[in-house]
Amino acid sequence: MESLPMTEPVLLILLSLADQPRHGYAILRDTLHMSGGRVRLSTGTLYGALRRLLRDRWIERFQKQDNSRGKQAYRLTALGRRNLQTEVSRLKHLTQVANLRVAPRET
Amino acid sequence: MRALLRSLLYLYPAAYRAEYGEEMWIVLEEVQTHAKKMGPLAQTLSFTREAAGLVHGALQEHARGILFPQDFSFIPQRRLSMRSEFRFPKATVALMTVILAAVVVAIDKAKAISASAPHASLPMGPIQPLHYSVISTLLITLAGLGVCGALLWAVLFALHRSGTQRLSDLNPSASPRPGKTILS
Repeated sequence: MESLPMTEPVLLILLSLADQPRHGYAILRDTLHMSGGRVRLSTGTLYGALRRLLRDRWIERFQKQDNSRGKQAYRLTALGRRNLQTEVSRLKHLTQVANLRVAPRET
Repeated sequence: MRALLRSLLYLYPAAYRAEYGEEMWIVLEEVQTHAKKMGPLAQTLSFTREAAGLVHGALQEHARGILFPQDFSFIPQRRLSMRSEFRFPKATVALMTVILAAVVVAIDKAKAISASAPHASLPMGPIQPLHYSVISTLLITLAGLGVCGALLWAVLFALHRSGTQRLSDLNPSASPRPGKTILS
């Protein structure tokens, strides 16, 4: 089961689906873009993560109507969005703590 | 390169391939098409990353299928048809009969030869211990481990294909997934 805190690829996949549904290749491109070219997921890694997220009902799969090749698209479920928000809040808190600890020493 | 990637998809469990195989292939094609535009180096790197990802993913799925068979929620529904997907080839029985007959004939021949020349064999000298070198010992050990691994894999593969290890997880009252019939 996917758990919190989540791995970076899973976080990026969920963030990619947060604003709109996407199909597999679009998720790959978006995660690459969001991470500034640092996280380059392979297809095998992507579908392993998607399968776990589908199993845990964090995302759902549906057939896009406007697609000639019959690609399946993915979107966040309410549970997935809630977990993503929890993770983002956790990261925000961690960043605040890090800023408090690190910033004064840099100045 | 594409043919090799396509063949690597066959490393995944059959149920996983049925669910995601075609979709993964579409994505792999798009990734390769994009990498081709970026030049031969990018194409090679992309191919290496994708191949490694597929092998890693397939191993993970096989391990998960064995350790957590309930994860493959779409498999038990297919097993309700009570048809095993793993079958020995029809020629197996004939081939095994031929091998058994050959072994029996060879034993009979050996007995006949032994009976016809009871004192033909030379007296044996003292048995000398074999002196193994480190390399040969290592090679023999590795070969032994390889054979054991292959046998274990074959047993697990046969169990996985026949669904024997999941019989206890069958839940006939479970509702079928949308788009899939119980007898499909």
